[in-house]
Amino acid sequence: MAKKTSSTTHTKGTSGHSVVYIVGDSPLVEEYANLCADKGYSVVVDWNESPKPAPKFEGTVKVSSTTARNTAVALELTIADKEHKKKNLVTLDKALAATAPILTNSVTVAATEQATWISGKHRLVGIGALPSFSQQRIVETAPTVHTPKETVEVVQRFMQSLGKEIEVVQDRVGMVLPRILCQLVNEATFVVQEDVATPQDVDTAMKLGTNYPLGPIEWGGKIGFKHVYSVLSAIENDLSEDRYRISPLLKMLAHTGEWWKKQ
Amino acid sequence: MVKHFGIVGAGTMGSGIAQAAALSGVDVLLYDVNDTILRQALERIKYDFRKGVNRGKLTQEQMTEAFGRIHPRTKLHDLKQCEFIVEAVIEDLTVKKDLFRHLEADTKPTTILATNTSSLSVTAMASVLRVPERAVGLHFFNPAHIMKLVEVVRGERTSQETVDHTIELAKQIDKTPVVAKDTPGFIVNRVARPFYGEALRLLGENVATVEQIDRIVKEGGGFAMGPFELMDLIGIDINFAVTQSMYEQYFGEPRYRPHLIQKRMVDAGHIGRKSGQGFYKYEDKK
Ligand SMILES: NC(=O)c1ccc[n+]([C@@H]2O[C@H](COP(=O)([O-])OP(=O)(O)OC[C@H]3O[C@@H](n4cnc5c(N)ncnc54)[C@H](O)[C@@H]3O)[C@@H](O)[C@H]2O)c1
Repeated sequence: MAKKTSSTTHTKGTSGHSVVYIVGDSPLVEEYANLCADKGYSVVVDWNESPKPAPKFEGTVKVSSTTARNTAVALELTIADKEHKKKNLVTLDKALAATAPILTNSVTVAATEQATWISGKHRLVGIGALPSFSQQRIVETAPTVHTPKETVEVVQRFMQSLGKEIEVVQDRVGMVLPRILCQLVNEATFVVQEDVATPQDVDTAMKLGTNYPLGPIEWGGKIGFKHVYSVLSAIENDLSEDRYRISPLLKMLAHTGEWWKKQ
Repeated sequence: MVKHFGIVGAGTMGSGIAQAAALSGVDVLLYDVNDTILRQALERIKYDFRKGVNRGKLTQEQMTEAFGRIHPRTKLHDLKQCEFIVEAVIEDLTVKKDLFRHLEADTKPTTILATNTSSLSVTAMASVLRVPERAVGLHFFNPAHIMKLVEVVRGERTSQETVDHTIELAKQIDKTPVVAKDTPGFIVNRVARPFYGEALRLLGENVATVEQIDRIVKEGGGFAMGPFELMDLIGIDINFAVTQSMYEQYFGEPRYRPHLIQKRMVDAGHIGRKSGQGFYKYEDKK
């Protein structure tokens, strides 16, 4: 906290607005871009696959696939596509100044594994990011064995500048919230698949019976069933435990992207 | 419309259900084994009603009227005029089966017989009836006079007509019904399992601490309570028992497997708020 002033110099560039570069999947990229633009950053974004129609941004957000050297912080928000993630990280590692940290989404691949792909291992810090949570106050953060304390502090100050706090957890596939939430969605789809209850009744029951802010099926839709599926298969691979078996219904939802129609 | 609503068992749940029903304008016949228990139940109900009046949730007049609609009874055949009866006696299959047999003998053939069981099979209970089609689950949540949700549980032989009437009754007493097939945990107790189970595993694997996990779930996920706070509130013993029962009833399904941490906490007597210590310490208790 005492380092508040030095933090400002660190994240603000010479123009007064420091540059944040964001690359990854839609809609996470847009969510973080709007958040950063809203807090006064110069934001540059790129996607693995450009969303159609092209999203409209509220503040000044530039779309570009080249990473500026003066980038203060880079965010790699790819959720599951390992090849894209690797390619993005290698490009960022080459383009960025040695002091610039890369916050990489580590919900499906541990940050430690991602660090083996680049030479600037010190700059990599895992964060937990899934669509629809960017307005929340806490961000899970997973440093690796290569991450010095200073880098974690830069990440902390950056998140503070976005109105957030970090919670430092162990670097583990699925992290904390994604693992709990995705298993809730999974269980809910088992219930629907087995005809125990309708999707609407499952959501009503969980909101009224346990006071959850959203029903698990609604949540699956907001996060994206394909992302829920990616997180669970990554955990299933990592832990080799039967409890992470994914319901066939969830797999279908992940592939079609829409609600299942009973034949 | 149900005019006479029978409730068997005037414990925590029975009294709560009686309050909700009486407030909605139904006449409640509240049965328990003796006058002392019924007197205590009426005291509790009066106390809750007064709290409602003090908080401006209901008027003095509404309270007097509702209270007047609750009729204590110690003879089962006094419930004969009821179109709908729900039992909320102790969670014991033999006791409940026995009660269902007596109720069938003592009531009109059209009366719906419902059970508030959380963990027993509605189908098994209904099997003792000559007409199992009239039996159904009606699962309330504690405190029953406040929680809006009820799970209407369709047993293997429950008729559609019985399900429809039960949904109507639920709406009549101002509850929101959802329908579930008779399977362990119904909807809520089953879908909620990973909330606790994954949190316990994350703790066991040292991914984060109790405090961190609760904070991430609340301030990162928007939940009102974290899994460990909630386990402390429910009682770690109760939560462990529910998980264990689900695991056994699903013949060892790994998703419901309890965690050693729960067992050790129960062994240690650290069962949550009620014991002064659970995952957190509660200084005001003990
Ligand atoms: N407490 C909860 O949170 C909760 C929530 C949902 C469902 N339930 C279910 O509701 C039922 C009752 O639970 P509770 O917490 O109110 O229990 P409780 O112990 O507070 O009350 C049970 C009442 O039933 C009476 N009783 C016992 N045997 C009887 C019999 N043979 N005939 C008539 N009355 C008899 C007892 O005198 C007592 O008043 C159980 O099936 C339980 O699983 C409980």
